[in-house]
Amino acid sequence: MASPQPIINTPETSTTNPQTTSLPDSDSNPNKRRKIAHASPAHAEFLNHINWTSQSEQQIYSANLLRTLRQVLRRNPSPSTTPSKSRQVRYAADRVLAAAAKGRTCWSRAILSSPPPFNLRRLHRHKKAPDAKKKVTGLRSLRNGTEKRKLPAVQRKARVLSLLVPGCRKVSFPNLLEEATDYISALEMQVRAMTALAELLSGGDSPSGLAAESLS
Amino acid sequence: MSSRRSSSRSRQSSGAPTSAGMTDAQITDLVSKLQQLIPQLRSRHSDKVSAAKVLQETCSYIKSLHREVDDLSDRLSELLANTDSNSAQAAIIRSLLM
Repeated sequence: MASPQPIINTPETSTTNPQTTSLPDSDSNPNKRRKIAHASPAHAEFLNHINWTSQSEQQIYSANLLRTLRQVLRRNPSPSTTPSKSRQVRYAADRVLAAAAKGRTCWSRAILSSPPPFNLRRLHRHKKAPDAKKKVTGLRSLRNGTEKRKLPAVQRKARVLSLLVPGCRKVSFPNLLEEATDYISALEMQVRAMTALAELLSGGDSPSGLAAESLS
Repeated sequence: MSSRRSSSRSRQSSGAPTSAGMTDAQITDLVSKLQQLIPQLRSRHSDKVSAAKVLQETCSYIKSLHREVDDLSDRLSELLANTDSNSAQAAIIRSLLM
């Protein structure tokens, strides 16, 4: 049963203000991005990003991190399959940080979708891939001769940066810069929060000392 | 229909500096914003710092941040293992955080 007037279903904003930022269906983010792109893509992207320097953001992160870490460290699985505690903590800290980004950045989505760290044997299997890449670059240097052995400096460093920021290997250069900016702010907040947590946990010397003595 | 954000963003496969979508001015603007974040380059004027230098400092800064986070997670894993059974201290920490 088709509706008698299907055309009226389209919202009024699309006909009157094509460049408005407030769309009724804000879930369709690609449409929102396309319309804002005509105005100023860089600034619009920054408006969506989290303020990593705010005190509340850091407190929320610390609370979430502590809760997650206590859950993680309470489990005692077989030591052969799980990585070291330090790596578990690092993994949990990164995931909580990525969750704080609320899916707005490429690096946060990449962290949340990457699998948990596993046995060392699996890591060795992945090492075969870089060898294949080395052969290709060797052939390239032979073809080009002596002139263009290396890429321009900016491209080289951009590639290194894309490897450092998670999930940004195939991202365009301007987006890579944006991701790096947000990632650095997030990492700084992570360092501040974890430092504060470590200070709290080690600052109370007498209670923690008593707890350690009671355990041993 | 299912246009993901990553496919709409990445117009080029490699990290080439010039992309069809953005102007050079916007790229320069982003580079200067990045420069402001990095503590080593913050005091210098933007005229003297090249993009390659900013990228290099960014890479080394991210690496140092990663190392810091690794050290902190080492520390936290030891500290939390000790105080895990001490629920009173955990309550104190929770009350301080919120």
